[in-house]
Amino acid sequence: MTGTRKWVVSESSNLSVNGTTNINKFACEIPAYDRTDTIFLKNKNDKEIALSGNIDLKVQSFDCHNSIMTHDLRKTLKEPQFPLLHISFLSLNKLPGLTTQPEIITGLVDIEIAGVRKRVEVNYQISEDAQNVIHLLGSRDVNFSDFNLIPPRKLGGMIQTNDKLSVTFHLKINQL
Amino acid sequence: MKNFYRHYSIPTNMKKILISGFIAGCILFVASYGSLFLAVRFCPSLFTEYFNPLFNSDGSRDILFYMHAFVFSFALSWFWDRFKTVFHGAFILRGLEFGLVYSVIALLPVMWISFSALDITIAMVSSWFVYGLLQASIAGMVFAKVNP
Repeated sequence: MTGTRKWVVSESSNLSVNGTTNINKFACEIPAYDRTDTIFLKNKNDKEIALSGNIDLKVQSFDCHNSIMTHDLRKTLKEPQFPLLHISFLSLNKLPGLTTQPEIITGLVDIEIAGVRKRVEVNYQISEDAQNVIHLLGSRDVNFSDFNLIPPRKLGGMIQTNDKLSVTFHLKINQL
Repeated sequence: MKNFYRHYSIPTNMKKILISGFIAGCILFVASYGSLFLAVRFCPSLFTEYFNPLFNSDGSRDILFYMHAFVFSFALSWFWDRFKTVFHGAFILRGLEFGLVYSVIALLPVMWISFSALDITIAMVSSWFVYGLLQASIAGMVFAKVNP
C-alpha cells in the first residue's frame, strides 16, 4: 500500500494514568477526549509507517475520583503554566491489518508534559470493529522524573508517590 | 572579673530552659516521627487525605518539618519555666496537666481556625489535636524531671 491515510480521533477516546504511593494506589483519567484531531499515516517503506498528528489533552480534564487528589495531580503537572499535555505520533513499526482480532504493534511518540518533551516507544493493540471504528489501545510506563517533575511527597517524605506511572490510552478512530 | 562573667554568662534559668528544651526535643523527635512512621505504615488509610495541594509536595520544607520537635520543645520549655509552680503532684501528673493546659490554650483555637478556613476534615484536625496533646504531655513530663 502506498499513499496517505487519514485517521480522525473521535471524542469518546480516553486516557488513564495509574500510579502508586507508599500508602495507596491511584487512578486518574481523562474520561472523554473533548475534541477531534487527525492523524496522517504515510508509508515510508515496507518496514516503517510514518505518522503525523498530535493530540492535546487538557490537564484540567484529569479526574482522580477524589477532588483533593485531582487538584494535587494538576498541581504536580504544573497545570497553571502548562495546561496541555501533548502527544505527537511519529511512526508505527508496520502497517496494521485492521481486523477484529487485536494486532500488536509498536510505535514512537513524543510526549510533552509540563514543557518537557520525551520520545518513547509505545506498545499498541489495534483492531477494527464491525462499525469500522479503529480501536488503538496504547500503554507505556513513564516516570515523573523523565519530565523533571517531582512526585508528590508529604509530611517530610513520610508519604511518597512512586516515580513510575503507567499510562494507557484508548483512541477510537474513524478512517477517512 | 566576677561582674564580667555575671554579665556575659548565660543565666542559670536560661541554661535550664535550653537544656530541658533540648532533651525534650530529642525525645519528641524520636517519639513523634517514630510514631508517625509507624502510623503511616500500619494505618495508611488515615493518611490518604494528605494528598492535598494544601500540603507542601516538593520536599523544599522537609528540614522545617523535622525541626518542629525542637521549636516546639524550646517554646514549651520557656513556658514551663515561667509557670511550673502552678503544676503540682507527681511528674506524670504535672506533665499531663501541662499538656492539657497547652492544648486548651494554644492548640484548640488554632485547630478551630484551621478547620474553619482550610479544606481539611474533622478527622484530620482531631488527629493533629491529639498529636499535639501527646507531644506537650511528654514534654511536660520531661520538664518536670529535668527542671522541676
